[in-house]
Amino acid sequence: MKIYIITILLCFSVSLFAKENETGRVIPDLKIKLLNGKTTSIHELLKDGPLMIDFWATWCKPCKKVMKHLDTYHQAYKENGFKVLMINQDTPRSIGKVKSYIRGKNHQFIVALDPNQKIAKKLNGLVMPTLILVDQDGTIKWRHQGYMPGEEVEIEHQIKTLLGLNTESGSKDS
Amino acid sequence: MKEKILLILTAAILSGADFDYNASIVASYGDNYDFYSYSENRLDLNLFYNNIQAWIQYEYSNPPEIGFPLNDIRKFRVEYARDNFTIKVGDIYEYWGRGLVFNQIDDQTTNYDNGTRGLFLGYTNGGLSLSHLNGNTEIWFFGNDLRTPYFNNSHSMYGNQAQYDWNNISLGLTQLHSNETHQKYFGEAYVNHKLKGIYGSIMLDNADLFVEYVDKKSTEKASLFQGIPHDTLKNGYGVYGNLNLYLGSWGLTTEYKRYVFDSGHGDFTADEYGNRIGFQMMPTLGREQNTTLLGRVVHPYNFNDERGLQLSLTGPLPLGLNLLTQYAHLSRNDTWQSLTTIDWKNKHIDGLLPGSDESSLPYWENYQEISGFGLDDKLYFRFGRGNNKDIIKVFRFFDGQQRSMILTESWNYDTTEYYGYIYVDSTLVTDTSFTALFDVESKMWQEVGSNTYPFEFSYTHKNGYSLGIGFEYQERKKRNISRGNATFYNGSDSSWSLINPDNPDSFYVNYESQFTDWNSERVKTQFNRMVTLSFSKASKWSLTINHDQSSAFDGPKTIDPYYNPLEALIFGDIKYFTGDRDRSAPPRFGQQRWVSAEVAFNLSSSQRISIMYGSIQGGLYCSNGICRQIAPFNDGVKLSYSAIF
Repeated sequence: MKIYIITILLCFSVSLFAKENETGRVIPDLKIKLLNGKTTSIHELLKDGPLMIDFWATWCKPCKKVMKHLDTYHQAYKENGFKVLMINQDTPRSIGKVKSYIRGKNHQFIVALDPNQKIAKKLNGLVMPTLILVDQDGTIKWRHQGYMPGEEVEIEHQIKTLLGLNTESGSKDS
Repeated sequence: MKEKILLILTAAILSGADFDYNASIVASYGDNYDFYSYSENRLDLNLFYNNIQAWIQYEYSNPPEIGFPLNDIRKFRVEYARDNFTIKVGDIYEYWGRGLVFNQIDDQTTNYDNGTRGLFLGYTNGGLSLSHLNGNTEIWFFGNDLRTPYFNNSHSMYGNQAQYDWNNISLGLTQLHSNETHQKYFGEAYVNHKLKGIYGSIMLDNADLFVEYVDKKSTEKASLFQGIPHDTLKNGYGVYGNLNLYLGSWGLTTEYKRYVFDSGHGDFTADEYGNRIGFQMMPTLGREQNTTLLGRVVHPYNFNDERGLQLSLTGPLPLGLNLLTQYAHLSRNDTWQSLTTIDWKNKHIDGLLPGSDESSLPYWENYQEISGFGLDDKLYFRFGRGNNKDIIKVFRFFDGQQRSMILTESWNYDTTEYYGYIYVDSTLVTDTSFTALFDVESKMWQEVGSNTYPFEFSYTHKNGYSLGIGFEYQERKKRNISRGNATFYNGSDSSWSLINPDNPDSFYVNYESQFTDWNSERVKTQFNRMVTLSFSKASKWSLTINHDQSSAFDGPKTIDPYYNPLEALIFGDIKYFTGDRDRSAPPRFGQQRWVSAEVAFNLSSSQRISIMYGSIQGGLYCSNGICRQIAPFNDGVKLSYSAIF
């Protein structure tokens, strides 16, 4: 028990230290395979503007709830160069259903495939959903794990802040 | 060596070199009255420096929830990419096609890890990509212990892949060679596996097609007395196809599989050699369930010998609703006839489709779901219905003809005269004859089936508070069915014993439920209910209360000897709080019910801590097509923390 508490405290310390130093971290330029069969990279997608990355799977319930909102933001702010990249983690065993699911929902965001979690491991997106908001220069501006109903307000707030569309100051996520 | 790598990489970060990095921490702790406590902590660190990427996973677990205790670097990998070349050294995780030859995963929830520690070389030029990897893999499997793996299959392997992409067409060739030391209950088998595969895909506007084929040859290296070589050979193959059709916003997914690597009667699969190996993580063609009760009735997929198809249709309905409907039918590739108790004969199922004969262990599954948002997206709801039927065991299965033997005995008397005396001699004469041929049927199998209705609803107020209600109801049957005019096989006269020897037309059908109630009486149906209530404040905290209840035992009766205040509160047991309840003797109404409460806090947007108190029912848990039995967690505390930075 003692070791466990020490470990937890160590984790807190390290992560708080990291939080303080988060600004300026640049997302690596990883190659990604898109649902349409084409290949691109994260930096390539950043050419037009900021990017919101989210990790999801067809069996993930909270992922499906947040997807609807992310698609709304993808369409609402696309004129500002903003995009949403949804990286799917269905394994090769169930990946056949991904395209049907996306077509069925009529989602417009960009969908990439990561069947053995190569990208997710490199960006720490194994917990689903995990949101990463990246500025056009590749700087990671915001990270978020999980989804509770109502958090879409905070997500949109972060997007608008990054795009300079927010008249309010400060984050709603205190 | 591993310590040196960690030291160098840590020093590089602390020295503020031009490294970029990210990290994640997952820490969990659990303790319950069964005296099994666990402490599992993992740190993942990714480093990026120009063309170099590195990954280290450090684990301190003593013991983990499942697996072996560890206080060391669990995984590491260094990658270098330049121009068209990629080199990776360390723990490699790759996949080819849809995994008929090769699909590597590290699934912590089921403790399945088939990654290779070795070398990967990759080359890409235009549409052409080539890759080679080799190394060693240790794949662990569980025995009787639900928490600590017991069997180890060790692979020394190498493999090659070539893929060519041209516009919307892809074509790939794969090859894998593995020398396996296969651990068995008694001793080991030394097996050489050779796999060759081909896959191709085409993507069009309104359709996609993917097809993969693998051919597998396995040779067991064995020797008889005095070292005489006795190698045995086994051949197998697998086919998978996926055709997606799109019409507007509607999508139809069709999948077909046929895995023929090794076969056996009933639920028997030889644990020797020539089976599908641990690298072959192939499509299941069953739905990846995401509700608790449906997840407990998942079919035990047989990747050695199974064929089937799956259809899934999804699309929008009026009023902003969405429909998802799915159907799957699977079976073994053969039907089986039990000629005697131990002698079984197979017959290949004609055509491509799965069989429905009980001896081919058929499985049917269908699921329908309607979901949608309402009230300006504040309301989310989901209604589902899942139904399945699975033949999981066949004990005997004979349907044929036999003759009954008729023995007639008589005494023959003879006389002999000897010097005037008459002697009488007698001889017993046995006459054997047979009746005309008559039909004989003797079948017995085990069948499980269930109907499940999951429902979910959540409402979010504009102030960020939300209320969620989940309810699942399930009716489940598990029974042994015996049918025919004969019961057991009689080895002494090599025939099936009729229930009424004088009348072969006397047929019977008997159903014997495998569920028992609290009084150990058999009951036809098991009723399961799960209620989940959640209350949350967006981005801050959430409270979830879970109540799981089952009406019958599937196996031996288990008694929960501990009664905690949360259970008393949920059950409305006032006596517990007034001191009138004997806490050492839990009331009957508290048995076969599992209650838990979990509070989660978001410390920041990237840090989360949760505390759970109560009990969780054990049972089947499936993830990524891998299923394992989870041990129950009784009256304990779980604490978990996760962070990314």
